[in-house]
Amino acid sequence: MTALPYNYKDPILTLENISMSFHGEPVLRDINAQILDVTRPNMRQGQVVGFYGRSGIGKSVLCRIMAGLIAPSAGTVEVGLAQQPVTPGMVGFVQQRYPLFDHRTLHDNLLVAALRKHAPADARQHVEAYLERFGLAPHRRKYPALLSGGQRQRAAIAQQLLCSDHLILLDEPFSGLDVAMIDEVKRIIVEVTTMDELNTVIIVSHDIVTTTALADRLWLLGYEHDAAGALVPGATISPQHQYNLAEMGLAWHENVEAEPEFAQFVEHIKNEIRGS
Amino acid sequence: MKSLFAPNAQPARLVFTTMVIGQAALLLLLWLFYPMQLFPSLGEVVRALGDLITTQGLIQELWASMSTALQALAVATVLALLISYLTALPFFRPIAYAASKMRYLTLTGLTFFMALMVSSGHQVKLSVLIFGATVYLVTGMTSVILTTTQEEMDHARTLGMGEWRSFYEVVVLGKLDEMLEVVRQNFAIIWTMITLVETLYQSEGGIGLLLYKQNRYLHLDGVLAIQLVILATGAAQDYVFVLLRKVFFPYSSLGTSA
Ligand SMILES: Nc1ncnc2c1ncn2[C@@H]1O[C@H](COP(=O)(O)OP(=O)(O)O)[C@@H](O)[C@H]1O
Ligand SMILES: [Mg+2]
Repeated sequence: MTALPYNYKDPILTLENISMSFHGEPVLRDINAQILDVTRPNMRQGQVVGFYGRSGIGKSVLCRIMAGLIAPSAGTVEVGLAQQPVTPGMVGFVQQRYPLFDHRTLHDNLLVAALRKHAPADARQHVEAYLERFGLAPHRRKYPALLSGGQRQRAAIAQQLLCSDHLILLDEPFSGLDVAMIDEVKRIIVEVTTMDELNTVIIVSHDIVTTTALADRLWLLGYEHDAAGALVPGATISPQHQYNLAEMGLAWHENVEAEPEFAQFVEHIKNEIRGS
Repeated sequence: MKSLFAPNAQPARLVFTTMVIGQAALLLLLWLFYPMQLFPSLGEVVRALGDLITTQGLIQELWASMSTALQALAVATVLALLISYLTALPFFRPIAYAASKMRYLTLTGLTFFMALMVSSGHQVKLSVLIFGATVYLVTGMTSVILTTTQEEMDHARTLGMGEWRSFYEVVVLGKLDEMLEVVRQNFAIIWTMITLVETLYQSEGGIGLLLYKQNRYLHLDGVLAIQLVILATGAAQDYVFVLLRKVFFPYSSLGTSA
């Protein structure tokens, strides 16, 4: 395990004291996390960060808050180098079931997104580039109902990238995919981060191994106990559940999953999840 | 053959068509050779049909009723779409709610009321039909709009579309095919209403009046002939709607089991 050299620069997304309740029931409590622009010498590379949590803990709620789709009960989300309060459209967000516009062809799905940000001629060029890059060109005329799950997911990611600035949030990108498809998504995620220094992929998932293999920062959502040992309602990120994989020498390795330290770390995380 | 009796089976097209033709032929043969009391025989119905066409102007009356029906349907569709889309604004929700509840108003009372409001017979007929069709269409269309999910709206919003643009993309464009289906399903109601309205408001003629007369003189064969003509017209209309859907909304039936 070798820790590769890196530096942190400006914040890209900041979660400050985020809490969320529905009808008085706390789901999330006091969540703090900051995603920083990572730079590596002589490399142009964005960042991948991960949020783990068990099913039902509030990951999708956190996604919707980060995407600006719902306002948290308390706290703020700030995005971009200017650290502005988030509004819908600032953060690309691929939901769990990769929705697309079913009434538009794949090509038109991408074009309608590209036109949000580019002039028509430019937009068409961008769409072509993404169709090629994501292996979707042969399916351009198909309607979403005829795409396979993997194609749909890639199309949804491309659609979000075409109209968002650098930040893209993936809710459960690996669930329900077979091994080959997971490798394909991993390839796409790496591809996205190498496209621009500022590109940032936020993976929100319950798949520990795959997320850890891709990320350079990790946050673990869990419940805390109070002094009397009772469970405090509302999931949060405890200070000991923030991991810097770059520092630990687990980030950006070609085949990190084969390294013994990686297996140890995954085991550690699993124990933490069981304990919380 | 076996596939005709297996649940959810998809028999070959030829097999299925043969089966349908066979069933229809069997029904006709039964009718031909086992005449029931009261119920007119096939020959009588065919004769009555010929008579209605040559002496009573069945085709012209059918055309008159149909063009009125289409006219009413067109206006009602536009009205109902407007009312349904406006439910996006809380201010207009009570209107859609009230409109859909007006399905329970009876036609007879309504006709009387309309007759007081507008002058010509044609206008009465048309406005009653428009009103009747609109309230049914609003009911169907608002329930289509209510199938919109959080996920669909969020998807549009994450692409930086504003609330109106998201609504237009997801609800208006995204559900146009389902709206056409609502119109198709409710067209039958217009036919029920038109025959009724024409008997209530006889100055305008139409196939409803023709049916009414046959009823009154107990010409059962004529009644049956007219009913069959209306049935055939309805089936043809359904078919046209299915074609329209295929042409304008090719994505519509993708991913369903059929
Ligand atoms: N709009 C809502 N209203 C009420 N409760 C909600 C809402 N959205 C999510 N929840 C609740 O929040 C909890 C977390 O859900 P979710 O974020 O979907 O979990 P997951 O971690 O599996 O993505 C669930 O108990 C769910 O019932
Ligand atoms: Mg979820």
